[in-house]
Amino acid sequence: MAQLIAIDNKNHLNLKVDASKAELHGANLHLVPAVMSEFSNMAVQYPLMITKHADTGQFVCAGMLGFEAGENLFWQEGEWQGLYLPLQIRRQPFFLGNPEESATQVASGDYVVCFDSDSPAISADEGQPLFNENGTDTECFQEAKSCLVQLLQGELANKKLVEMLEKMQLLQVMKMEITFANQQSTTLNGLYTVNEEKLAALPEEKIAILHKAGLLPAIYALIISLGQMHNLINLKNKRLAY
Amino acid sequence: MNKLTKTVVIVGGGIAGWLTAGRLAAKHKSNTEQGLKVILIESANIPAVGVGEGTWPTMRSTLKALGISETDFIRECDASFKQGAKFAKWFDGTEDDFYYHPLVLPQGFGKTDLAAHWLAKQAQPTQNNEPINSFSNDVCFQEAICERGLAPKTIRHAEFADVANYAYHLDSVKFGLFLQKHCQKKLGITHIIDDVIAINSADNDTTGNNAEKGDIISVSTQNHGDITGELFVDCTGFSSLLLGKHYQVPFKKCDDILFIDTALAVQVPYNSEDSPIASHTISTGQQAGWIWDIGLQHRRGVGYVYSSKHSTEAEARAVLADYVGDKFSSLNVRKIPIISGHREIFWQNNCVAVGLSAGFLEPLEASALVMVELAAQMISEQLPASRVVMDIVAKRFNETALYRWDRIIDFLKLHYILSERTEPFWTDNRDAKTIPQSLQDLMTEWQYRAPADHDFTSNNEVFPAASYQYVLYGMGFKSDYCHTPYTLDDREFANSQFMKNKVLIDKALSSLPNNRELLEKIKTYGFSRI
Repeated sequence: MAQLIAIDNKNHLNLKVDASKAELHGANLHLVPAVMSEFSNMAVQYPLMITKHADTGQFVCAGMLGFEAGENLFWQEGEWQGLYLPLQIRRQPFFLGNPEESATQVASGDYVVCFDSDSPAISADEGQPLFNENGTDTECFQEAKSCLVQLLQGELANKKLVEMLEKMQLLQVMKMEITFANQQSTTLNGLYTVNEEKLAALPEEKIAILHKAGLLPAIYALIISLGQMHNLINLKNKRLAY
Repeated sequence: MNKLTKTVVIVGGGIAGWLTAGRLAAKHKSNTEQGLKVILIESANIPAVGVGEGTWPTMRSTLKALGISETDFIRECDASFKQGAKFAKWFDGTEDDFYYHPLVLPQGFGKTDLAAHWLAKQAQPTQNNEPINSFSNDVCFQEAICERGLAPKTIRHAEFADVANYAYHLDSVKFGLFLQKHCQKKLGITHIIDDVIAINSADNDTTGNNAEKGDIISVSTQNHGDITGELFVDCTGFSSLLLGKHYQVPFKKCDDILFIDTALAVQVPYNSEDSPIASHTISTGQQAGWIWDIGLQHRRGVGYVYSSKHSTEAEARAVLADYVGDKFSSLNVRKIPIISGHREIFWQNNCVAVGLSAGFLEPLEASALVMVELAAQMISEQLPASRVVMDIVAKRFNETALYRWDRIIDFLKLHYILSERTEPFWTDNRDAKTIPQSLQDLMTEWQYRAPADHDFTSNNEVFPAASYQYVLYGMGFKSDYCHTPYTLDDREFANSQFMKNKVLIDKALSSLPNNRELLEKIKTYGFSRI
């Protein structure tokens, strides 16, 4: 269990982070959460899926990295072999602490940046420091914070997206049976995507609503990214061939 | 004269009234110009009886047909999941005496006679002191789910989808109001709140058509004048205003078969906010009847149904108090008379009765609501287009409904006749004179083989053969296959089904959430449509 510790410039003045090791957090992920603002970057390489959150059953967006739990086909030879590293990986080892955890935070509505003390990216001597000697944030820490902010805003945008898709009944179950080159086959369950026919049949006023809400690019990214399924199958076939 | 059916008038606004109205209006597009006109007249002065807190899985298709969201239904009707019934203390009354009637069919049902194989296994001495499992646990994975207080699905399942088949427990008063709200808002039903003071029929044969003689032309209301229509549905509850009072259709009692005639009901609060909620109905045998125990989200519904010939009210109160425990003294006890039986026919002229106005039986297998659903569905699907075809539909409706009531009576009686309890209520129940010939005949056949679907000749069957199997073998009945030993030839396949059941149990136990936990999540998140 990862231990989350709130960061401050007194206790953690000498803390260093090795960004290249942050990727290790994604080594065994087969689905990586994705936010709307990064859909177009994700769609260049990963199929974007809608799945249901295990605890809440709410629809969430994710990039697909493998065909079974623990399988990240973009993780090869100890490195992430992708053009774009998803925000959810890039922000490691940092988290936003839940403001509900302390009364003073609730009052301010501020979030607290925490780090995962078990993260391989955390060290006392290697990597970049979080704070300058005068206690101000380094560029590296600022970058990490901006990732966290993007994720936080992205969660709200995602929520708006899936709520709208659900309301307009544009989601459909994606059932897929895939046979790999070695004849091994797998059935994908629990995945959902945009129903293109229903989208095409939407009346103008509803399309206008989606357009004004800025959701159309994300919706098309979801659709187009499904072509990356071929890419993913290809990676799997290569891995199976070894 | 061949009058077209353009308006259906429903008298009575309980669950029966609104379900019938909803089914008719949804199927016949009452919210459009050309659609059927459905008028529901409801008295402001007659409270709904509010019986029936348990449904069948059919309620899922009924809700779907009405366009109701499962999330809304569960949130607004205090509803919870019901995965069948646990019958405790029905066989010999000891503490560990129980069996299940789950809602999932036995593994491989229809492909092999698993009951025969199970009975053969029981006859063998067990190896390594293996515990002898119950029939329901060996052939079906649902008992294990219920025993651990798990839900039949997860929050990731779509509305009405499941891992294990389920029905609902619900607050019937809230359900009535919920149905009314939905039907009015979405389905285009005309709602009149008024008292019916007279029923006007065509006693004078002015049309020259004898078939129409005695048809209801209209019902007179206190403040809204005469409401006319071509078909009238009697949903007036026990008073059976149209079919019973107006048409004088006789009531056929069956208290010579089923002795229960009184219910004492209480609403029991949970001990704490996280007390477990059972995901099945618990029916516990008592000295002169049995106690139902139904877990809703915010309270339990508990009641003792008993035979007043075998118990005084004071005795019955003591039995119920003992079951409920300390809280009992602070609870309001409602006494409800139960007159077991049904009308001799249900559709007379242009009037059909649905719900308590048609009949009522002790709530042992939650037959009240399912009979409403089946009737409402049949009326909406077979709605006579005109007066000419009405008698044809009426004849079929009467035959089907009568058959259903008889099968339910047989099935309820089956629960009692294999008991070895010794109180007079139970020994009287085993008296052959009280067992219908149809049931006696089946019991004679089942000495040699398990109940099978071909034992029941209708395609409108209420209980499948599997239900009879669960009760028979749950109560320790043994069918003797010695005349047909080759029934066991597919031993290998049967064993694979027993194994499959074990696998399904493991899988279900590791993946299904706690029942209360899921109900809480539904309140917060809800199910998605897909």
